[in-house]
Amino acid sequence: MRLFLLNILLSISLFPGMSFSQTSSQRTGVVTDATTKESLPGVSIMVKGTQRGTTTNLDGEFILPASENETLVFTYIGYKEKEITVRGQQKLVVQLEQSTQNLGEVVVTALGIERNTRTLPYATQQLAGGDLNEIRDNSSNLLSSLSGKVSGAVITTAATGPGAAARVILRGNRSISGNNTALIVVDGVPYDNTSYNQATGTTSSYGGSDGAANVNPDDVASINVLKGPSAAALYGSRAANGAIIITTKKGREGKFSIDYNGGVSIDQPNLLMKFQNNYGRGNGGVYSPTAGESWGEKAETYPNNVKDFFEIAPSFNNAVSTYGGTKELQGFASYTSNIVNGIVPGNRMDRNTANVRVNTNFFPKLTTDTKITFVNQKIKNRPRLGDAGTPLEAYIMPRDMKESELKEFETIDPTNGQPIRKYWTTSSIYDNPYWSTERTSVNEERNRVTALGSAKYQLTDWLSVMGRISYDRYNDKTDGSFYSGTVSLGDVKAGGKYYETNTSYWERNLEGLISGNNTLSSSFKINYNVGASSLKRVFSSVQSMANGLTIPNKFSLSSATTPAFENVLGYERQLNSIFGNLQVGFNEYLYLDLSARNDWSSTLPAPHSYFYPSAGVSAIFSEFINLPAWVSFGKIRTTYTEVGNDADPYLLNQRYNFALGAGQGFISRDGNKSIPNLKPEKTRSYELGLELKFIENRLGIDATLYKSNTINQLLYVGLPMASGFNRQYINAGDIENKGLEVMLTGRIIQSDKFSWSSSVSFSTNSNHVIELAPNTTQVNITDNTKYATVIVKEGGSYGDLYGYKWKTDANSGKYIVDARGLPVVESNQKLGNFNPDFQLGWNNQLSYKNFSLAFQIDGRIGGEMVSGTDAYLSYFGLTESSEKFREGGLILDAVTADGAANTKAITAQQLWTTVSQNGRDAWGEFFTYSMTNFRLREASVSYNFDIKNSFVKQAQLSLLGRNLFFFYRGKAKLNIPGIDERTIPVDPEAALGAGNYQGVELGLPPAVRSFGLNVKLTF
Amino acid sequence: MNKYIVILSAILSLSSCTGNFEEMNTDPNKLTEVGQREMPFMFAKAQSSASMNRSFYQTVQNLGADLYAQYFALTSTSFATDRYVMTRDWQRRFWSVVYVDTAPQLKSILENANPNSGEEALANILWVYAFHRLTDHFGPIPYFGAAEANKSIPYNKQQEIYDDFFKRLDAAVSNLKALPAGTTVFKGYELMYNGDVSKWIKFANTLRLRLALRISKADPARAKTEAESAVKSGVLTDNSENAFLDKSSAGNDTNGLSQVAAWNEFAMSSTIASYLKGYNDPRLSVYFQPDITSGKYNSLRNGLSATALGIARNRPAQNSNIGTYWVLPQADKTFAPNLTAKFHVMCCAEAYFLRAEGALNGWDMGTETAQQLYEKGIQASLIQWGANSETANQYIQSAALPSAPDDANNSPAVASTPIKWASNVTIQREQIGTQKWLALFPNGMEAWAEFRRTGYPKMYPVVQSDNPDLPGGAFIKRFPYPPTEETNNATELEKGRALLGGADNTATSVWWDVD
Repeated sequence: MRLFLLNILLSISLFPGMSFSQTSSQRTGVVTDATTKESLPGVSIMVKGTQRGTTTNLDGEFILPASENETLVFTYIGYKEKEITVRGQQKLVVQLEQSTQNLGEVVVTALGIERNTRTLPYATQQLAGGDLNEIRDNSSNLLSSLSGKVSGAVITTAATGPGAAARVILRGNRSISGNNTALIVVDGVPYDNTSYNQATGTTSSYGGSDGAANVNPDDVASINVLKGPSAAALYGSRAANGAIIITTKKGREGKFSIDYNGGVSIDQPNLLMKFQNNYGRGNGGVYSPTAGESWGEKAETYPNNVKDFFEIAPSFNNAVSTYGGTKELQGFASYTSNIVNGIVPGNRMDRNTANVRVNTNFFPKLTTDTKITFVNQKIKNRPRLGDAGTPLEAYIMPRDMKESELKEFETIDPTNGQPIRKYWTTSSIYDNPYWSTERTSVNEERNRVTALGSAKYQLTDWLSVMGRISYDRYNDKTDGSFYSGTVSLGDVKAGGKYYETNTSYWERNLEGLISGNNTLSSSFKINYNVGASSLKRVFSSVQSMANGLTIPNKFSLSSATTPAFENVLGYERQLNSIFGNLQVGFNEYLYLDLSARNDWSSTLPAPHSYFYPSAGVSAIFSEFINLPAWVSFGKIRTTYTEVGNDADPYLLNQRYNFALGAGQGFISRDGNKSIPNLKPEKTRSYELGLELKFIENRLGIDATLYKSNTINQLLYVGLPMASGFNRQYINAGDIENKGLEVMLTGRIIQSDKFSWSSSVSFSTNSNHVIELAPNTTQVNITDNTKYATVIVKEGGSYGDLYGYKWKTDANSGKYIVDARGLPVVESNQKLGNFNPDFQLGWNNQLSYKNFSLAFQIDGRIGGEMVSGTDAYLSYFGLTESSEKFREGGLILDAVTADGAANTKAITAQQLWTTVSQNGRDAWGEFFTYSMTNFRLREASVSYNFDIKNSFVKQAQLSLLGRNLFFFYRGKAKLNIPGIDERTIPVDPEAALGAGNYQGVELGLPPAVRSFGLNVKLTF
Repeated sequence: MNKYIVILSAILSLSSCTGNFEEMNTDPNKLTEVGQREMPFMFAKAQSSASMNRSFYQTVQNLGADLYAQYFALTSTSFATDRYVMTRDWQRRFWSVVYVDTAPQLKSILENANPNSGEEALANILWVYAFHRLTDHFGPIPYFGAAEANKSIPYNKQQEIYDDFFKRLDAAVSNLKALPAGTTVFKGYELMYNGDVSKWIKFANTLRLRLALRISKADPARAKTEAESAVKSGVLTDNSENAFLDKSSAGNDTNGLSQVAAWNEFAMSSTIASYLKGYNDPRLSVYFQPDITSGKYNSLRNGLSATALGIARNRPAQNSNIGTYWVLPQADKTFAPNLTAKFHVMCCAEAYFLRAEGALNGWDMGTETAQQLYEKGIQASLIQWGANSETANQYIQSAALPSAPDDANNSPAVASTPIKWASNVTIQREQIGTQKWLALFPNGMEAWAEFRRTGYPKMYPVVQSDNPDLPGGAFIKRFPYPPTEETNNATELEKGRALLGGADNTATSVWWDVD
């Protein structure tokens, strides 16, 4: 591939530049922001229908030759496009309006190609960087901030505290064993967003971070969300789930400026479950000091004991950016520090980001863009979630346990001065939560360098060639220290356990692109790109394990009694591609888009190759159909896209694993069966969109209908265990997603002093599993069967939840109980589905003089979650619902198997310990909740200071709040006769992880509510 | 224009260059094929898994058969299996141990080893060992199609499975006997006898004898043939031949029982306490240790409710943990596990008791009488656990009877089984069953199977059953099939259930469990 780049560069140098002949008279002008009146440097100005153009200088001024009646088109990222026809003016004063989500703007599409949304045949949604760098989520993940702002995006953030991974699903889930999240693209280059160690079940785990968590919101200029797979022709199969195209800031020609953005926030636990506060530890109403459960006698309880365990966590964000430049050289440099504390004690993230970007234009036809970003992200004391997770250990403490008792989590061994675990009851599963936070620790550090260099040479005025190399590398070091005596890990040997995992990943993409445009006639214009790329990805990970330390609790590999290298993993994969697209424009209102791509992937069997095309049409019908005057714009668009997808490496050959053990160790066949004849997956999607604007563009609607089918899917299906395999890979299936996305925008009030703009987004997606494979009607997303099994079943929908359900009598319709009066269940019944039916978002921006107010209310309707936390709390007698019938007397309104009315009275303990099956193996239906919720997600009040003649040019102060409160939270799906209605005890949008395993939670930390203060200054 | 063509063709040729893709897509950190070189490692893996390693010991054996054999009772309220509540996911784990962790390795050896070789023989013996434990738990299981990569695998009758067991053991022993004297197999890798073929022959024959007795009610004729052949071929007779499995602190291969015991969630069951205490059994202080509060040997009943477990006398600190072979008490009243303690797979005492029972059946079990075999079994067990032969002889002659275990339930003596050989055949069977059960400790899987078959030793009913299928006084008969079979092998599961001859629950007896 190097040869190939060289080739391009050589070719470039052989071409003589062609000069542009100036025939028109010079026009000058200045471009300013319509609201702030600030001059706008770097605005792109083109004379419509020609290749003439320029950009504004530091003071927003420009000079451009243009004849009378020629139209100048002003475009600037984050602003609405404006057209002005020259009618005698020599000096033009142009004001551009900032755009939130609107039409006719320039957006960055695939490969960094800027296009006007007018011409796009598919749906996009633009967000400005400023929307994301004030109110921050406690996860500190940029993608979490998109919740409710992007119509159709289902965003789930893992509840693993600062640096958590986020799952962004656009237009539904389609892949069962693969990835469903949108591709992240930064400045034209895919940005690795692998999330490591995401929960695949409820077993305790330390969920890792993801790539998106490394993106610094302060460096983001704009985000464009491509909801469909339309970017896939240019980015390849990784864009099959849609793409989030992030454009970062760069230097501009003009004065040297400094921006400062500083924020401080207080994140606090918002405990949503309701505890009983009357009964203390014991069982059967009898006190027992060593009981784990709270089924004892009435006792003095401590209502805030759980809440007090969690911390009120401050966060600090400071970002400084400097930028400036000349016509030939523009530079941007920034440094950002994010210090985010988690609400689980000791949990903290420190992220430092440095970014330098240089753009040059020293030679008339050669422009270069070079960027290097360095991120150091340290996450200390990642909380352990799930069964035996730290939050769960806090939740299950008896109601009569006070903080001082809980804090006695250890004693000191007089013989060696080392701590000895102390727990008020025996347990092979739990530690005192303070032992977990003080004496166990998992830390993660990432160093990531992203470098990008591109050079573009304008061969002729209609043809350019670009070469780009990008390199993204990170090294992660994760270490875990567990004091001797820790039981919650299950495997800590005498002396304690220590490990270090060193992971490195890099990807290098070489790319060449030839772009051209020609005017074929006065009506026909074409744009085209032809390119090739080679993407190489290399991963390696080694865990050095010291389980059993010679010197107790000396957490070093050198102290290992039996050092071991566990989980030695690695892969190398390559994807070579050629691609091209062609756009034909007719009279600036009718556009045809065609694209095609062929990939060669090393992970597929020979010939490694697969091809996929797309086609789209868009028509701005308001330009050629007479519409009523109040309709100012109308466009209809449609596309058909095919996307192929390769698979993970190493699926073709059966693998065998080596493990340490007695003798010389063990070799065993991997439980996953290989697939020698692996085929690429294919997704076919259609989309139809309508954009309308009314009353001088003050109101707008953008609606998209879509349908996609993923076929030949790589399924990871369970085999009968007797086959000797847990699972096998097969290519099969047809999974369909259909949906509607609607975005309404309005500038409702627009006056000199007061303005109110508002947008409402609505989306719905319905998923249908049309077929799986012959003899396979059900695929489990993971092996976890606790609480509910998350499955994909023929005739059902992706993410159906199956588990135990209370059996009903066919004749009377009543619930069935056994001879003891306790519920009888049946297995493998549908409990729900984790996907929402509808999503709604309402964003508002109000401004009055220098004040502005923004708030966002959003909600999800539908979708179910099985709460393992609730099952645990029920087993331990901690819920408010467990308070009634402690002394017995509950006769469930039910019948026995023979249809006779139930007469057996039971106690609350009998009921709850039976249906919760020790908490761990609960009968799912009893703990299934609707995920419907509406919340005030964000609110902010800002003040812009009037500043004149000061070295500070702009200043803004904001008060911010996030996740402030719920208007509504879902209820239990099952109302147990005699027991009051129950409300979901956790944040319905929180999750154990950001993988495909969703819809079951266990031991999530409380929801986080944030209040903050933010200052923005420009010098 | 030529330049563009050059560029384009360069792009095309380089992009479609896939020359090193095959090599790139081969995992350097894993084996992608196995042959003779890998066989000994695979055999060791199968040995470790089949005998239940650390990862599975708690949920598959300790919270199941070990309790149902009434060696231990739970002091923890974290689990309800002692009250016969089933945790369905744990059944899946047992299947995973046998089908995924054990069988494919053995199958690979059977495919790669030379026909009639020692490697093939050992793989077949271990195959029988692994599968008999599984079928004894569940009844009909997928057997003849096991470890074949098919989408559905039929269940087989237990009778047919046992038939195959005997055939495999018979062939394996013949092949081993045909090897030159002093031959070793998998030496340096094999974890039980370091490849000593002569001991493997005795192990295989004892296993065959065990299985023969198991079917002695269901198929007495076959049982007799198999038992007589096994004894004639040579079973374990000396403690030096006991099958003990090496354990290692490396990896995940520690002694599962030691690890579980360190968590102190179970203690001596009143059932075994009644026998050991009443008999003044020297093994009491080896099998168990004094509780950390009173320094006495204390026990509790199986199947106590959470409320009852809250009573001081039933708490972990007031009851006896398993002996110091497995866990050592610490100054801070916790327990340190002996993680590399050898794991007891099979001991010669068992062989004597099996022969004693066979002799009572009128089978040719060698020159000794039933009484002699019974007494040799006791002697072997006591000596194995550290007693001298004088103590053992006194014990054999002892008139002691089981006593009240002195527990919180004020339980009476569990039985009146004497140690000294009785004259009544029924009592003799009870004695053999009881002493074999004491000798099998802590092998709950075998003890529970034999309790189901023989009804011996006499046990206390669980204090409380929370399983509606097992109302008051009933003992658990089997485990229900794992829920994963409902999703991944549903059609065959239904046929398998039809073979059961009863509901797929804990109350249905397996084929050999004839009352």
